[in-house]
Amino acid sequence: MAHAPHKYLHAFVAEATEQLEQLASELVRIEQEVPGGALWDSIFRRVHSVKGSAATIGLSGVVAIAHAAETLIGKLKAQQAKPERTHVDLLLQATDELVQEVQHASGTAHAPRADEGAPLALAARLAEASRVLPDLPAPLPAPRIVGQKPVADPGTPRLDVAFSLSKACQAPGARSLIVQRKLKGLGVLLEMDPQPAALMQKKGGVRVTALLATTRPPDEVRAAFDGIPEVEEVEVSAAPVANAPEPAPQAAEEAGAIRAVPDTAATEETRTDATVRVRAQALDQLLDQAAEVLHGIARLREAVRTLPENAATQFEAEIDRLRRTARDLHGRVMNARLTPFSSLTERLPRAIRDLAHRLGKEVELEVQGGAVELDRTVIEALADPLTHLVRNAVDHGLETSAQRISMGKSVRGLLVLSARRERDKVLVEVSDDGAGFDGERLRQRAIDMGVLSPDKLPDVTEQQSYELAFLPGLSTRDEATELSGRGVGLDAVKAAVERLGGKIGLRSAPGKGSRFTLELPLSVSMANLLLVQVGGELYGLPMTRIVATTEYDLSARGGEGFEARSLAVMGQLVRAYSLAKLFGLPSLAPPGPRPFAVLEVDGITFALSVDRLVGQEEAVLKPLFPPIDRIKGLAGTTVLGNGRPLLVLDPRGLHELAEASQRLRGAA
Amino acid sequence: MPQRRVLIVDDALFMRNTLRDIFTGAGFAVAGEADDGVQAVNLFRDLKPDLVTMDIVMPYKSGIDATREIVQHDPNAVVIMCSALGQESLVMEAIEAGATDFIVKPFRGEDVLAVVKKVLGE
Repeated sequence: MAHAPHKYLHAFVAEATEQLEQLASELVRIEQEVPGGALWDSIFRRVHSVKGSAATIGLSGVVAIAHAAETLIGKLKAQQAKPERTHVDLLLQATDELVQEVQHASGTAHAPRADEGAPLALAARLAEASRVLPDLPAPLPAPRIVGQKPVADPGTPRLDVAFSLSKACQAPGARSLIVQRKLKGLGVLLEMDPQPAALMQKKGGVRVTALLATTRPPDEVRAAFDGIPEVEEVEVSAAPVANAPEPAPQAAEEAGAIRAVPDTAATEETRTDATVRVRAQALDQLLDQAAEVLHGIARLREAVRTLPENAATQFEAEIDRLRRTARDLHGRVMNARLTPFSSLTERLPRAIRDLAHRLGKEVELEVQGGAVELDRTVIEALADPLTHLVRNAVDHGLETSAQRISMGKSVRGLLVLSARRERDKVLVEVSDDGAGFDGERLRQRAIDMGVLSPDKLPDVTEQQSYELAFLPGLSTRDEATELSGRGVGLDAVKAAVERLGGKIGLRSAPGKGSRFTLELPLSVSMANLLLVQVGGELYGLPMTRIVATTEYDLSARGGEGFEARSLAVMGQLVRAYSLAKLFGLPSLAPPGPRPFAVLEVDGITFALSVDRLVGQEEAVLKPLFPPIDRIKGLAGTTVLGNGRPLLVLDPRGLHELAEASQRLRGAA
Repeated sequence: MPQRRVLIVDDALFMRNTLRDIFTGAGFAVAGEADDGVQAVNLFRDLKPDLVTMDIVMPYKSGIDATREIVQHDPNAVVIMCSALGQESLVMEAIEAGATDFIVKPFRGEDVLAVVKKVLGE
């Protein structure tokens, strides 16, 4: 042994020698003892004690043998059976070898070691003996961080926390468990990745991320790491809002009356699929890049058209194949962005429960199709409208318990939220078995507000009356409630759904309840556009809103000065507006017949004159950024196959602009 | 700052001696030493040390059980587990029982002191 004798070497030798003597006598007795009894504990402890001290002195031979013996002893104890004679023999041999090693270290050995490799060879034999024994549950319960998914108030700020375990960290699982405990003391720890248990027996240097719901400032959370060793590169920052909606299973249980109908097949599938957490932003970037690839291919196709025909054919076939692959890639990224409907509904039970209690109502919430997936953008944009519809149903739709009893209904009002997929659409329904909408009252209100002329009254069906509820400012209640407010914001709900390229419908039956149906695109990012030219610029109109295109010769009707007229389209007289006028652009159309795009918004059909209809293109829509997101009539931007940026128009906004300019003219 | 008092718990005299040297060399006072879990809990109540170093595998009462009792008695107790390599699941159990932190054997004096100073906020 080359190193200088340890200060307490003599203490170690005395202690180890005594432990090993006891160990030998206990091993001899073990065959007569109760299997798995207390004697095993004592044997284990003695070997372990010798190992710990030897490690501190640096006696690697002792450590190797003791460690392997310890493992074998642990396994033999777990067998709960009489040990085999060969095992006891091997352990006795190990004890003898340990004694020799200790004596050798103390310098009291009578002869120099004949074989320096003996300890390692013995350790290997011990390890092999352990290996062939069956694995049984560990005698000591491993720590398990189990329990329900944590729940935090959606209003509490979220912090993204990240830290690294130092490379020298020898127990990353235990180290990150300490961090986890610390974070739990500062707020509600919503996520931690990897979990401490997953880091057990791993090496240091791991980066761990966590999501913490807390009212404490980031600096305070960062400072809490000061007292934790082996933790480096701590980063604490406010989490983006996208992380905010958290499932609230505990709240659901608490509410008691609220149950979810599980979509078993889908849940099973999610369970077996291994998942990793990916930043939403990373997926967005990936989607952007997949879209760029698509654009690039579109540009290639354009370029190939200029080649001689025999050369072009071959290129086109290859480009087509590339395009299919790129489309597939784009689709897969889109799918990765899908978020289950349940992420919207899981935060509702608590809100419903609180609201119902305040109103003296009892509500049973049933969620169907929680596993149906929608694009994250749709989910985010749907959060407020859905909350609104649900609150509205509890506040205005469902009756109080007393009312329901007197009407012979069940005491509990039923509120059903469902989602189901139909081809490339998702249908979301919010239905209740409450009082339903009052058609008579809606009609009267519409007349009072001047949005319905009394002479049209006989033509309005009962179902059409319900749809009046979507008009701004219409409320069936005269008193506004603190909770849903006056006018209940159904117009806002409709607007939000339409911004997503969706539709909303309402059916109702007096005394039986009502049902809102939201027809939503699976994804909002891909849009089929009608390209139109006005004032030398190209614009896109969503094909979902286009009813028809037509041509009309204006010169026959008074020339260029018109701003609003009527056209006969498909046997129906519709308002016609000039897109150039709405945007204050010069019209560059030659005299003669002009093209019109006929659109439908809010059940109103109208026509827009343009200079030229250019064609159709499928494009990846990108949201508007400030400040141009404030401009009415714009829905988003995209990049065309030829690389040109394009503004995509919002038909609903255009219609509102047109109506407003009409009113201005009327007032002037 | 008053001298910090430490209670050393380990069933091996060798380990207790080694730890005592490390602590006294760094200006700590060794309030006491225990060689099993039962003694550790009793001494903690009597001595009210600022810090405990706790072996895990010990006769009569394990370091984990002793830690649990100490923390129940004093939730602010600072208990540092002395574990050996390969005992991570035991260390995690000890942390869940309330241990403040841990060191892994074999350790050097500076390793022990670094952890101790960190958890004491020095």
